[in-house]
Amino acid sequence: MPSVFVYGTVFGGLAVQAGLRPLEVWGMSVLVFAGASQFVAVPLLAAGAPAAAIVLTTYVINMRHYLMAATLAPSFRAFPRGWLALVAHVINDESFAVAVARRHPPDPWVFIGSAAAVSGAFLAGVAVGTPLGGLVADPARWGLDFAFPAVFLALVALQLRRPADWAVALVAAALAIAIARALPGTWHIVIAGFVVSALAALVLEPEAS
Amino acid sequence: MRTDVWLVIAGMAIVTYLTRAPLLFVLARRPLPPRLRLWLRLIPLAVLPAIAFPMVLVERDAAGARLALSLLHPPLWGAAVVLALAALRMNLLLTVAVGVAVVALLRALA
Repeated sequence: MPSVFVYGTVFGGLAVQAGLRPLEVWGMSVLVFAGASQFVAVPLLAAGAPAAAIVLTTYVINMRHYLMAATLAPSFRAFPRGWLALVAHVINDESFAVAVARRHPPDPWVFIGSAAAVSGAFLAGVAVGTPLGGLVADPARWGLDFAFPAVFLALVALQLRRPADWAVALVAAALAIAIARALPGTWHIVIAGFVVSALAALVLEPEAS
Repeated sequence: MRTDVWLVIAGMAIVTYLTRAPLLFVLARRPLPPRLRLWLRLIPLAVLPAIAFPMVLVERDAAGARLALSLLHPPLWGAAVVLALAALRMNLLLTVAVGVAVVALLRALA
């Protein structure tokens, strides 16, 4: 939980630093509640990228929730639909990992407990981070602009399990670099992320379970 | 109130909810086909490098886009440190903090 709080603080600080207003940062954190996609959206919003490009990029980044929702679904079979609507909104990487590690199928209450703690810690972190963001005059001098790519690089390195995973990551990186040199905006994220993962899923053997 | 910013946030919120809710509601009984499952697992593995590597290696400005492969480019060293620490399973935030510190230090020396 402390790490989620710090993650929220860093996000709040960087988002204000990039030019978003505290209320916008807070609103995004409550309504979207998906850290990685928010980290990507902030510099794009600040640079005035087209709305459709930001929304599409957000969608591609957050497509990983489909897998988590599908895995959690059997555990929530007995819950009323109103509950499901709320539980859906707080699906997040950390609570999913906690719930799946404990039991199979995951315990719904372990997930709900973790999700409550994670959302509380993240939003508290954002609330603390936004006033701090205005205090740093020259973020690049402190390397803070590098925090965005650093988070993504660390996240991907943590998920590489099989040799094929490395191939997928490296091919996506190479294709994205080539596209980023040729096309403006975030097409490199959408095209490389979508095409490389889809092709790999067609070519590779699905693992057991 | 900046309407354009709030419209983007609303759009982000809607598409993100559409990645979370549908399968939680529909898939309570049926398991996901294995190949679709594999694709969903691979998406972040392709998307995250597609975001991060161009941020580090491609410089874009009004004059166009070019590769930033000079050894004097601090983010290159920051990225190498972050990947190495993450591969050693160091805590995510600590990893990011060290990477940021490396970039700041190299810029201060330059």
